[in-house]
Amino acid sequence: MSQSDETATEVDRETTDTSDRSTVGQSILEVDAIDAYYGESHILRDLSLHVEEGEICALLGRNGAGKTTTLRSIASTAEPEVRAGQIRFYGHEITHMATEDVAVRGISLVPEERRIFPDLTVEENIHVAEVVRNRSNVLGRNISFDREQMPDEDLYEVFPRLEERLSQKGGTLSGGEQQMLAIARALKQNPDLLMLDEPYEGLAPQIIQSVEAAIERIREDGTTVLLVEQNAVAAMNVADRCYVVDQGSVVFEGTAEELRNDEETRQRYLGV
Amino acid sequence: MIPDAVALQTTGAIARLLINGLQAGAIYILLAVGLSIILGTLKFVNFAHGALYIIGAYLGLIIAQDPSFGGKLAEWGFGDIGLGFGYLAALVVVPLVVFVIGVLMERFVARPFYDRPDTDQILLTYGIALILTELFRVLFGGASRSIDQPPWARGSATGVPVLGDALTALGINAVSTWRIVIILLTAVLVGIVFVLIEYTDFGLTVRAGTVDAEMVELLGVKLSRPYLVVFGIGAALAGVAGLVGGPLVNFNPDYGATILVPAFLTVVVGGVGSIRGAVIAGLSFGLIQAGLVQFGFSEWAQVGIYAVAAVVLLVRPQGLLGQEVAA
Repeated sequence: MSQSDETATEVDRETTDTSDRSTVGQSILEVDAIDAYYGESHILRDLSLHVEEGEICALLGRNGAGKTTTLRSIASTAEPEVRAGQIRFYGHEITHMATEDVAVRGISLVPEERRIFPDLTVEENIHVAEVVRNRSNVLGRNISFDREQMPDEDLYEVFPRLEERLSQKGGTLSGGEQQMLAIARALKQNPDLLMLDEPYEGLAPQIIQSVEAAIERIREDGTTVLLVEQNAVAAMNVADRCYVVDQGSVVFEGTAEELRNDEETRQRYLGV
Repeated sequence: MIPDAVALQTTGAIARLLINGLQAGAIYILLAVGLSIILGTLKFVNFAHGALYIIGAYLGLIIAQDPSFGGKLAEWGFGDIGLGFGYLAALVVVPLVVFVIGVLMERFVARPFYDRPDTDQILLTYGIALILTELFRVLFGGASRSIDQPPWARGSATGVPVLGDALTALGINAVSTWRIVIILLTAVLVGIVFVLIEYTDFGLTVRAGTVDAEMVELLGVKLSRPYLVVFGIGAALAGVAGLVGGPLVNFNPDYGATILVPAFLTVVVGGVGSIRGAVIAGLSFGLIQAGLVQFGFSEWAQVGIYAVAAVVLLVRPQGLLGQEVAA
């Protein structure tokens, strides 16, 4: 919270304008040589990557390589602390911005472990994302939303099982349903960039297929996806481009096809 | 004695116990609900909550009546600062003023300490409570005070149309109108807070933020605003508790510390963050207290509360309706 406060003034000074988005097919997110720390632990070292509009980009690597730290750096959560480098979204710098201000600019993060609100119903979990546009939340923040929120019928078309469980408490859903709810909650805002952290973690193979299909569907609807995954095979199935991260730095960048053909990189950094 | 008369007497005794219990519990509930939503939502331990009660009591006294204070105010020639606007005016002004005090407290005192350990928060707020207590003693003097019951709430409620008939039917021949006012006022205020938290977008954000504040921010919600309001509401309820408790007890600047202990106990027994829990625990404490007094064990009234609290917490450490916290 304290970091949010420090950056609040900075955010209020500039307009949160999400209308400058005519760069179809070009980079919408640029992470430029960032160094990120948890306390004194140096996690990301000179890490750079970019995400192009409309693609599914996968960030792969072993456990502890720095994938989640990269997503949290982009989302500008209280930790980690980015001490060097820049993160730009549609050309606007978002490094050190308050977490909620990054979100309203069109970046949604579905964190690992889903983090749904267990005591709220499915409907309420999704409705929290709608509160963002309430007057009390936007007042004085210079926010303009150029994209409408995703209509419920579109959301439930992607995740039909959620519609059957609207009044059920989030904590009573199965792992796969919770993952769908976490993605649906993020999608409700109709983000330009959806970041998914380990969406297949702990899911049965059959459920993974459902989530894969949902991700494909999300991309078809025009949402760009940055996917972090330890399950490299599943990620390569859906990704257009891949980055492999090791010890906080990018060691491979290329298409999913190129990574499939690069046996040395796969075996050395991904163990597949 | 004919059987009907015995039944009526029994019903009357039970009804009296309920009314006395509800009234005693009402003060605990008003304090505990505010404390609980602050502790449950903001994870902030506010030992200055009792001082907010005292602010409400003194402010209510000044607005409602024309008291003469001692202390420095008298030395400076401001001993008679009472406005004498009446109790209803105090009932409107006190919550508003204490709400603003709560908002300022959140912004400038609590917020910088959210990420600090509980011990830091306790030391900070305990220090503030001590400063406020001494400030009140210096300004107003240490003499005990009480607020007069408003004229419209004096006498027995059995004379009030409709309500009086209902009370008589229950076998209650005499009950203070003021007790009924406190019960109804508490029910209305707690009801409003409950609806606000459970059935509005504001409440939804607060409830989600209680579980996972970072996730709510990741969805784009600026939590600092609802937090400000939550703190203000909690403070306002404490102020109202001071105002409605003013005619029931003799208060002085030290009374804030006295009332803080049972208020915290009500929160912990009810379950931190649970409005329903605070209401159930507050009512239980009130009924236990009233029951022990009614059956001639008034010296055990406070002991009874602590004994029941100890048993509840042994069986359910998270409180009656609290969430179990993972180790």
